[in-house]
Amino acid sequence: MQSTRFGANRTGARMSPLNTSSMAALADEASPETHIGTPVMDAAKVAFATEAEAIGSVPPPLSLKGVAKAGMAALKGGAPSVFVDKLGERLAFERSGTRLYEALIIKHQAAQQSGSEALPPAAEALEALPGVRVLLEMLAEDPLATLMRIRNEELAHFQMLGDCLQRMGGDPTAMTPSADVAGVATGGILQVVTDPRTTLAQALTAMLSAEVTDQAGWELLEILARDVGQPDLATLFHGALEQEQEHVAIIRSWLAYLLSREAGTAAV
Amino acid sequence: MNINLLHDKGIALDRQRFTWKEMVGKPISKLDDDAFTRVRVVLMNGIESDSIRTKQTALRMNLPLREKLAQLMRAEQHQETCINWLLGPDHSPLETTIAYEQVAIEVTASIAQLEPDAYQSQSYRYALLEDFDHLYRYAALLDRLEGKDANNITQGYTDIIPGRPTLVHHRAPEHELTEPYARDAALGTKLHALTLVSGEYQTHDYYMHFGPTFADPVARQLYAEIASVESQHITHYGCMLNPEESLLEKLLICEANEVWNYAACAQQESNPRLKALWERFLDYELGHLQLARQLFQDVERRDPAEVLGDGALPPGIRYESQREYVRRVLADEVSLRKNGTRFVPESEEGTSSLAYREGINADGSPSEMVSAAFHWTAGTELVRKDPRQERLRA
Repeated sequence: MQSTRFGANRTGARMSPLNTSSMAALADEASPETHIGTPVMDAAKVAFATEAEAIGSVPPPLSLKGVAKAGMAALKGGAPSVFVDKLGERLAFERSGTRLYEALIIKHQAAQQSGSEALPPAAEALEALPGVRVLLEMLAEDPLATLMRIRNEELAHFQMLGDCLQRMGGDPTAMTPSADVAGVATGGILQVVTDPRTTLAQALTAMLSAEVTDQAGWELLEILARDVGQPDLATLFHGALEQEQEHVAIIRSWLAYLLSREAGTAAV
Repeated sequence: MNINLLHDKGIALDRQRFTWKEMVGKPISKLDDDAFTRVRVVLMNGIESDSIRTKQTALRMNLPLREKLAQLMRAEQHQETCINWLLGPDHSPLETTIAYEQVAIEVTASIAQLEPDAYQSQSYRYALLEDFDHLYRYAALLDRLEGKDANNITQGYTDIIPGRPTLVHHRAPEHELTEPYARDAALGTKLHALTLVSGEYQTHDYYMHFGPTFADPVARQLYAEIASVESQHITHYGCMLNPEESLLEKLLICEANEVWNYAACAQQESNPRLKALWERFLDYELGHLQLARQLFQDVERRDPAEVLGDGALPPGIRYESQREYVRRVLADEVSLRKNGTRFVPESEEGTSSLAYREGINADGSPSEMVSAAFHWTAGTELVRKDPRQERLRA
């Protein structure tokens, strides 16, 4: 792992001014100034979208027998399929989140072995970031312990959602459409965090996207649970939301700390 | 670099070793390495890939040779892995596609100039102008789909303007053929054709592999369209190889081709780590060539000099911008078309191609729709005045 610094980046047009001005002159000659518009392509895309089939379906409850009361049959209002789909999405996201934190722990270790101090205790970073409201009591634990704790909380959220789905007669091993789409969206984050060349700060930037999305996901799930008449679930989800709010604050503050205090080290 | 294809022994096959860690080495930098380093990486992956393809075909046709072929392929599988894994994971498939088209343009332009046979050179220039157009269409897609400038990949070496429009590349199969080089053609002629058919093969396979991974329907269509043209190019270049060469003659040319290519890479590489890799693989290929020479002598009872001449290496590919040459070819030959194996004026194009094209483009042309009014601009076309923004302001 190496720090981010000035070097021989060759991508910009200013790196080869003669070549690019020659290219630009030829491009001007070959394609005169015209209104930039892609109406044919836009119409084709609209047609594709109109004619497209769904990504897939939400798996129906395995059995309505014996779960009717506590299960999907008890869901009120809205569409039960939407609630199950979003439960499946959160479940998949928390499961991937567990793996993301495992990758982040490796990144943290690599930063330390590359000679960086890497991360401070979360409490120290939270204090240093102006404007961050500390939601819980200061976290004085070792940063690795914090990372492990967050990883375990993601895992616990995954398990909790699995139990919820099971009790409702759903299949927690199935991939729902929104779970699939969330996997596609998370793919880039996973690529960043697992790339040996990225710094800890770059990995934290990617993790921030995941955590902000996760926080909003739990907020939404809590609302949906109330909408379908499941206040107990809503309470459970609110507990998860509070933990995710803490995750966002910690990741944000660690990132700010690294960028302002550790510039020039392998972590940045 | 003083190499003799008849005498140099290189490193013996049984001393060519790899570990997983070494095969999956550090990738090149998309940002800091020279674009021609990536050009070499892409081309050499294609060369190794085709070398294995040739041997797998030979394996299906010859029982006694199987063990030797399997030994050669084991080394080449791992050489190819070393090379292909040099591409960093921060290259999106579309950015890698831009690199593939840069390879097709710069390498083909260099080879067209090296080629002594007028017909063969014309064949290269013909396909060159098509790959040149593919770069423009993919650059439009990269700009409009991912919001990125293709020149971040091509680094100012390669022009991004329309060539022979992709829309008219679609030809009836009978007009895709070319004449083969003579059996006694110069060694360089044989190596040129094999190098380009290797490059086109891997480009086609890459597009076929990654096309369906795109979500955007127009991107999926564009990959389908250009993969079809690359398939035509495989036939176009594949026909240039002499069909009367024996199996072992082809093996000998294949190994000589790898030596020739690695030598040019080693000579011109700017990244010291890769230069060492090209030199090492050059020695490996000389080891493979030694085995191929031996088989040629033992099995066919023929002198390798029949194929390799005096053993001198023909002049190699020049890894530098071929801008001025490509511009001349574009100005002079963009309107050429095919009729059978001949290159003809537009008015004489084979009529079955016109009918084929009318059918396949009947529901619209992906390459046209993706690049409508596209004008390459440093920093993407959003640097130019954006009409949508203008409308909002009004």
